Amino acid sequence: MRCPIENGEGEVLLDSVRSASLEDHIRGCAACGEFVAAQMATDGSLELWDAPPVSIDFDRRLYSRIAKEVPWWESLVRPFRPVFARRLVPITAAAGLLIAAGLWLDRPGSMPPPPASAEVQPLPPDQAEHALQDMETIQEFSRLIHADAAEPRL
Amino acid sequence: MAGAVAALDYDAELMLRVKDGDGASFGVLLEKHRSSVVHFLYRMVQNPAVAEELAQEVFLRVYRSRATYEPTAKFTTWLFRIATHLALNALRDNKYERLQDRLDDDSSDIPVRQVSDGRPSVEQRMVYAAKLDEVRRAIAALPEKQRAAVLMHKYEEMEYSQIAKVLNCSESAVKSLLFRAYEALRARLAHMA
Repeated sequence: MRCPIENGEGEVLLDSVRSASLEDHIRGCAACGEFVAAQMATDGSLELWDAPPVSIDFDRRLYSRIAKEVPWWESLVRPFRPVFARRLVPITAAAGLLIAAGLWLDRPGSMPPPPASAEVQPLPPDQAEHALQDMETIQEFSRLIHADAAEPRL
Repeated sequence: MAGAVAALDYDAELMLRVKDGDGASFGVLLEKHRSSVVHFLYRMVQNPAVAEELAQEVFLRVYRSRATYEPTAKFTTWLFRIATHLALNALRDNKYERLQDRLDDDSSDIPVRQVSDGRPSVEQRMVYAAKLDEVRRAIAALPEKQRAAVLMHKYEEMEYSQIAKVLNCSESAVKSLLFRAYEALRARLAHMA
């Protein structure tokens, strides 16, 4: 294996997971062995540096800043948001259906237009006379039927 | 979409819930990442009060961005990109006082490690404080980008690919940054070994 340091590829020695061939090389190469030992010592020194704990009021301060950014109307609406979210879909669907039905019924050509005005056609005299005769015949026929029904049957 | 997010990471899924108005999910994300963000920023600016102020700004920006959030990368990549951006700006603007100005006369934030008998001696405390001071100065002496790379690599245990995304550079550039940074640290901290 080529020496990473000699080839200007020393960064591969920083990897915590190394290939078996690289490990073999490090064991046999003084320069690489020295590099790795020095890096381990540096890692150990860096581990001395613990960060201080986070302040206990960190979250309170953050939420206070967030609350200042939320508009007042959103604060009012927020408690009802789950109810709106749950009921909004069926209400919107029902309203949509009603509007669609209204538009469909209201569309032009869906119903036959009413006649402009009711017109009465005058009857010719011969037709009127014929109609009167028909009515008299019907009345005569009706009388005969009634008379027949009144006589006792044998 | 949801399946893709789950494959990406659980944090991104939580952030999508925040986007949908679930405040509790924001609380979960805060609980999970609060310490790592504050500690990263602390090691960047080396001032606990400033670090917390910047961390507040990080989480505030996360919350503000909820409506436009898209899980295009790991959540922690996005989170640390915001944190790094704020830290680098703060250092460049010299808005906040640096370690050398503040920490020489303020060691109250140094956590004292306990030795086996439970109470470190005065001498042990002094040796520890001196070593710690060396480490902090060595880190502070690194160029800002190298410092960010080392802190993410060493303390946050991030992979090269993720550090590259946070710093918006190639993976080979990150390896090069880290190599030079550790080279400087090895030279500076060699006497401590």
